Amino acid sequence: MASPSQQLPPGWAAEWDATNQRYLFVETTTGRSQWEPPVAGPEIVGQEPSGSPPPAHHHGKRRQYAAGQTQAYYGGDSLGPSAPQYGNVPQQPAQLFTPGLAATEGGGQFAQQQQIQGGQQGYYAQEPEYINGPQQPVYPVQPPAQMGALADQFGQMNMGQKGPRLFTTNLLTSPPEPLELRQPPPEIFLPPNSCISPSPLANADSSYQRCTVNALPNSNSLLNKAKIPLGLILTPYRSLKEGEEPVPVVTDTVIARCRRCRTYINPYVQFIDGGNRWRCCMCSLSNEVPQLFDWDQARNQPGDRWARAELNHGVVEFVAPTEYMVRPPQPAVYIFLIDVSHTAIQSGMVATATRTILENLDRIPDESGRTKVSIIAFDTSLYFFSLPPGGADSQMLVVSDIDDVFLPKPTDLLVNLSEARATLETLLGRLSDMFQDNHTIGSALGPALQAAFQLIAPIGGKIMVLSSSLPSVGTGALKNREDPKILGTSKESGLLQAASPFYKTFAIDCSRAQVSVDMFLFSSGYQDVATLACLPHYTAGQTYFYPAFNASRTEDAIKFAHEFGEVLAQPIMLEAVMRVRASKNLRMSSFHGNFFVRSTDLLAMPAVPQDLSYAIEVQIEDTITAPFVVFQTAVLHTTCYGERRIRVVTTAVPVTSNLSEVFASADQVAIATLLANKAVERSITHKLEDARDALFNKMVEILIAYKSSMTAAGAGASAQLAVSENLKMLPVLVLGLLKSVGIRQSAQIPPDLRAYAQALLTSLPSQLLIPYIYPNFYALHSMPPECGTVGEQGVIMPAPLPLTSERLERHGLYLIEDGQTIFLWVGRDAVPQLVIDVFNLPNYEMLRGGKVTLPVLDNPFSQRVNAVIQKTREMRRGPYYQHLYIVKEDGEPPLRLWALSCLIQDRADVLPSYQQFISQLKDKVNGSSY
Amino acid sequence: MGGAGWLFLFAVLMAAGLLFTMVFFIIMFSDLECDYINPIDLCNKLNQFVLPEHIAHAFLATLFLLSGQWVAFLLNAPLLAFNINKIRGGNHMYDATEIFRSLPNHKKESFIKLGFYLLSFFYYLYRMIVALIADSE
Repeated sequence: MASPSQQLPPGWAAEWDATNQRYLFVETTTGRSQWEPPVAGPEIVGQEPSGSPPPAHHHGKRRQYAAGQTQAYYGGDSLGPSAPQYGNVPQQPAQLFTPGLAATEGGGQFAQQQQIQGGQQGYYAQEPEYINGPQQPVYPVQPPAQMGALADQFGQMNMGQKGPRLFTTNLLTSPPEPLELRQPPPEIFLPPNSCISPSPLANADSSYQRCTVNALPNSNSLLNKAKIPLGLILTPYRSLKEGEEPVPVVTDTVIARCRRCRTYINPYVQFIDGGNRWRCCMCSLSNEVPQLFDWDQARNQPGDRWARAELNHGVVEFVAPTEYMVRPPQPAVYIFLIDVSHTAIQSGMVATATRTILENLDRIPDESGRTKVSIIAFDTSLYFFSLPPGGADSQMLVVSDIDDVFLPKPTDLLVNLSEARATLETLLGRLSDMFQDNHTIGSALGPALQAAFQLIAPIGGKIMVLSSSLPSVGTGALKNREDPKILGTSKESGLLQAASPFYKTFAIDCSRAQVSVDMFLFSSGYQDVATLACLPHYTAGQTYFYPAFNASRTEDAIKFAHEFGEVLAQPIMLEAVMRVRASKNLRMSSFHGNFFVRSTDLLAMPAVPQDLSYAIEVQIEDTITAPFVVFQTAVLHTTCYGERRIRVVTTAVPVTSNLSEVFASADQVAIATLLANKAVERSITHKLEDARDALFNKMVEILIAYKSSMTAAGAGASAQLAVSENLKMLPVLVLGLLKSVGIRQSAQIPPDLRAYAQALLTSLPSQLLIPYIYPNFYALHSMPPECGTVGEQGVIMPAPLPLTSERLERHGLYLIEDGQTIFLWVGRDAVPQLVIDVFNLPNYEMLRGGKVTLPVLDNPFSQRVNAVIQKTREMRRGPYYQHLYIVKEDGEPPLRLWALSCLIQDRADVLPSYQQFISQLKDKVNGSSY
Repeated sequence: MGGAGWLFLFAVLMAAGLLFTMVFFIIMFSDLECDYINPIDLCNKLNQFVLPEHIAHAFLATLFLLSGQWVAFLLNAPLLAFNINKIRGGNHMYDATEIFRSLPNHKKESFIKLGFYLLSFFYYLYRMIVALIADSE
């Protein structure tokens, strides 16, 4: 530790007092002396950066913290984290107990916090200049004069306890701010020396794995006080956009794992015994370092241990040696089950699907030339296609015995993609025409699945089902159980449960044989999505639903072709199992997502598509004494290129005994994702009503917990509704969930749409889920000139508006999008010039509402609008391609209401507006304390 | 030995059999928790025993009803109603996809049934002895 003289403000000196064994502080100008260390005046902060050494110099640790760096950057006083808590100590409790201080202290902390957040809008960094007139919300704009205050904030952050700081906000006076949802989760402040790598990537990015709290309560009782649900949100296999760093691969098959708990070595282990052994970060067992760990096998020379990817990255992939295989890596296998009944042919689904497959044959992952494909068509009979290699013509084999399904031919049904390429292409080209005059109505989906299963079971792979009617014959036949009378009643959840046990037992068989099923459903009538979605749900596939698909509408065809093509091109993981390990005293208690739970903590996923999210609830079993905990997700899988690999995602989270840190570090996006999963599960096992109540009550519980422990009001009634700044958006997200199609109270939602929405709620990663429950809303007519043009980070987007129709002006053009659909709202007084510019139509009256493709016209505004739409479609991960609907303010009511239902802060029917919701919450929070 | 004696002797044997079934169920559930068995095998195995167990219990209850053993029948009536209700609801079989979510409930149910069969075992034994004594007098 350096002597205190280095840490004194200018004009002070420290003298060692030998009699008292402590420093005496003397102000050199006045000669005044005192025992207490002098307080650095606020004017010190931000003066000259040159005088103070960077903090990293102070504490000799390898890891630098962002706060420390900021301090170094702003040249804040050089107090290290271990220095006594000078100065600001008395302020701290005041900060914890100042609800609604935005109103009381004009330029107080609340404003400062807003400024900090303004400064952190990295995603839309070049924005602060938009001034769109008085109707625009006043976004936190950061004047340079406030920099000192900002630095002060960061300075304080580093001086007191190092950790997240709690800022209380009053929900009654601060409306939701859409930009806040785009901010990164609260920072993880790990204790010093917990990580052996200085790399900022040592903790997995939040898009791979995030915890609902970034400071874990140390005991279950503390967690119960906070009431925040504890869970992990995982997307271990996410796609990479251009420019994103690929996951590093460890190729030398030296895999160091803990002997006892089987944890993979990661940046949070400790090397002991001169580097010959390492201590596991989960169970503290000392393990031997493998001999080849320090050996560079590529160059055959000693290597640098500290450069190894697994010690520097939170997300890493190991190439697995043969011990991790039960059989040689399987090739990727795709079987297409195509419905060719009358309805499917008529809707143009078959033609679109075969064309899409044909166009995407090159994109199907097949680097090593091992990929196999097969096509089976079905109506009430099964049609197999024998595809002999070598360009001979394909041959159709009809099996009309659907009670006892058999394969008509032992070979040539499942063929190698590259060998049978020519035959396959001709078949795909002709398939739709072959069944052009098919008038059979009905679908033998069950027998078709069994046939595909027989074909694929020895290898495993993916069955892609394209079906446009309710399965009506053979095993797995379903009845139309849609009954408008029970919609909106307590019996409705029955419609969301599987109607036939076949789809569950078949899913289990599939899971055993490493077969995954994807469902593409197209029916215009009832198709029982709830039952059919069971198959993808338990075999780790995904359901895609195109209600009333009609390929003669180009928009429908484009959407399906794009999404189907993306799914085909995904480099899927095969034969995967996933296990999440966590430090001692933590237990994974329940799992949500598309997989089959094979044992208490092992999730079986026959194929892992990209960008699916899984949620895991975590329990604290006993008091945690370690300073931090580690969550490690390991996915053992075979890549579609025939390599056995293990993807390991590691996240370390500090442990705290301080309730305020738990609140200050809670991640509202992760909490909302977890709540969505829990709500869907509850709506299926109990009732929809129960799911909504549970959501609402959870929100109330969190607010009560916050009020009673973090605000001065304690248990009494309060005129405010306090919550921490980082949870400010949680109520509106919960409201969004309550109003989402999957959960909403309504008697008008067809069960198919509801079941599909629920499948989305449980499988979308946070990046897609958040807009799904809290859509984006932009005003296009008044967007600043740079929006829609290409900036440093791609197309510049306008600022999102709060989701309320107060923002809708009669002459405006608005864009509302929820990740699945885009609505272009045209106000009734839209000026003709705008209609001409964007739609190439003379005036508003000529405009038709509905699904459209927007023309790209030769004027800057049209190009900018198109750029914004394009960017909206591309900016997120996942295969989804959004439909574009034009909605006229006085257009047809259903479409109008649909678009308006996205504005979740408005009142709709029985569902409360945001203001009403907040006051309901407030009544509950205050009411409970009497 | 009179009719009541034979009836309760039979009931004792049945209760013992049911008791063992429940012990078997509980052992299997703990095996699942310890990861000795996978949920698919577990459900396949247990589901073979679910209906026989219910039928055996229903048969016993019917015998009591027919032979006019009202107390014994009333003792068994709640469980009989519970079983019938489950079968009517279609959720009497174990579902491998949901087993981990519902495992605590299944264990609780099995333990309660175990206790019930144990008590009824002794009750039948007692009634058998009473009947034998009454016979011999």
